[in-house]
Amino acid sequence: MQLFFEQLLNGLAIGSIYALITLGLALVYGILRILHVAHAAVYTVGAYVGLAIYSHTSTLLLAIPGSMVVCALIGVAIERLVYFPLLKYPPYVPLISSIALFLSLEELCRIIAGPELLTFPAALPFPSFSAGGVRVSGTLVAVYVVTALVLAILWFITSKTEFGLAMRAASQDMDVASSLGVDSRRVVDAMFAIGSAIASIAGILVAIYYNQVYSTMGTMPAYKTLALIVVGGMGSVPGAVVASILLGLGETLLIGFANIPMPRDALAFIAMIIVLMWKPAGLLGRG
Amino acid sequence: MKVKSTLCAIIVLLACLFCGAASAADTIKIGVLAPITGFAASDGFSTIESIKLAQEKVNAAGGVLGKQIEVVYYDDAADPKQAVPLANKLITQDKVVAFVAGSYSMPSRAVAPIFDEEEIPLVAAYALHPEITNGDYTFRNGFLGTTEGRVAAYTALELFKAKTVALVTSDNDFGQTLKDGFVGYLKSVGREKDLILQQTYPSSEKDFAVYLSKIKDAAPDVVFFSGYYFQTAPALKQAKEMGIENIRFIGEQGSDSPKMAEIALDAAEGFVILTNLDRDDKRPFVQEFLKSYRDRHNIEPDMVGASAYDAFMIIVDAIKTAGGTDGKAIRDAIAATKNYDGLTGVINGFDAAGEVLKPVQLQEIKEGKFRYFGIVTDSELIKP
Repeated sequence: MQLFFEQLLNGLAIGSIYALITLGLALVYGILRILHVAHAAVYTVGAYVGLAIYSHTSTLLLAIPGSMVVCALIGVAIERLVYFPLLKYPPYVPLISSIALFLSLEELCRIIAGPELLTFPAALPFPSFSAGGVRVSGTLVAVYVVTALVLAILWFITSKTEFGLAMRAASQDMDVASSLGVDSRRVVDAMFAIGSAIASIAGILVAIYYNQVYSTMGTMPAYKTLALIVVGGMGSVPGAVVASILLGLGETLLIGFANIPMPRDALAFIAMIIVLMWKPAGLLGRG
Repeated sequence: MKVKSTLCAIIVLLACLFCGAASAADTIKIGVLAPITGFAASDGFSTIESIKLAQEKVNAAGGVLGKQIEVVYYDDAADPKQAVPLANKLITQDKVVAFVAGSYSMPSRAVAPIFDEEEIPLVAAYALHPEITNGDYTFRNGFLGTTEGRVAAYTALELFKAKTVALVTSDNDFGQTLKDGFVGYLKSVGREKDLILQQTYPSSEKDFAVYLSKIKDAAPDVVFFSGYYFQTAPALKQAKEMGIENIRFIGEQGSDSPKMAEIALDAAEGFVILTNLDRDDKRPFVQEFLKSYRDRHNIEPDMVGASAYDAFMIIVDAIKTAGGTDGKAIRDAIAATKNYDGLTGVINGFDAAGEVLKPVQLQEIKEGKFRYFGIVTDSELIKP
């Protein structure tokens, strides 16, 4: 039983990390209907920028906000310079440019920071504790707390503020929202900024968790998050979170108790196929 | 008149080219492929820089057969698709007389038959795939998975006096050979029932918490935890955070990297690996290599570099013995190697398949550095 709870906690941590990376993708899909693959590169850049600031200042209090600002700017730049001019074309055009952007940003990281794997030796200041023989390490607590905090803030913004109302209006129908006086461009900018800032938090968290920063760290998230937003219901933010947590738990329990040495990533796509067959709109999708 | 001068120009040009070729023939060319870019770039760096040290040493001492050694190296990015055309280039354009396979298993396996076909001797530095040495002209200076698995089981049972052991390997062919060696040893001493947990993980695995929880629950005395340093190091860090104590972790060559302690920090202390290079080797030329490498690059040398250095030197030594650069003669000289004083220990020689016979080094991380822990010399244990 103790082992079961430990595995549950391990799975929850993995699911939380997936959720943080997938959030931005779900936000962007929800409003622009673009599969923003380059989001995973923003996550990588977030880890590098965080590390660069941390190694000069030795404090996460500067590294995290600094990286969030840089990534938010990159996100907005991607939207304005790449996606917006391509919106008039069929959806595969922005998708292909997104893939190109993803690969270029990855290579840029490698060229600037070098091919060597770097370490991010920061301590996450959270206490570990034990309950009933189950130990929860400080890093796990950090992952849970950060994820919960990000989700709470995002929920507050989207459902309790006027800006959130504009966001929801624009994601339902941008043209109608615009005609009713919503500044859609500003809303889209904000979506990219928020999603990219969250990706940078995820990047830093993962980098510290495994104590590694490398240019290809976004490769797995790049395609896995696609499966997650499909499972969650295209563009549904709560759906993406639920799908992420379920997948983290599912793959951990499956590996932990069924002993199948199947790559985790394969499980995500199997889940995607099953959900699409059973509920084509996704877990919490509309329509 | 115009035609004549054009002809003259062509003749002069040809003559120059010929001279160029002639002057190049005054050196002996040895080819190397290594992953200088891509995910394995740090191993490629280590390979090339260590071979350069070896080359400088040979050339400073007057070269071989009165000629300087020239190293021709290319970057294969650990990718078989890139390695094959580069191997052909080394053979047809650069005309290398021998080849150091300084890359990973997949590219080395792809190019080995090409060199074998051309009767150009090949020594694989650290690549582990059994099929690399299938040819007549192919040799390996690293240990096979079965050897490492066997020695790991011996280390757990005899050196750590483990009552129970666990085995964690990746699901690729290297993991399978490690498992064969490990379980084979347990069976040979009648203790397979003491293997209380056997776990395979997909070779792309990044997060080991799920496996560590199982290990914590099974509570073996020793766990043989194989994998690359970018897998085992974060796993050790996680293990410490999860409160796993009193379980001894041992690893293999994949964890032989200065990054190990850099990533795992103090969780790496006491981690023992089976490897090729003893950092506390008393022989002066080993210490000289370690010092030059540290001085030049300001990083710790590793087993990848040392293995490449030896692979190169074994070839140079064979050229000396053969007294020429004929492929067959070099091949025979490598095959006849006896008690060669290498950086990675005294190499007893190669078996008929081309596999190296030499002791396995055990290194332990102490204060963030690999230090001497032991050496396994029993020929029954270290055989391929």
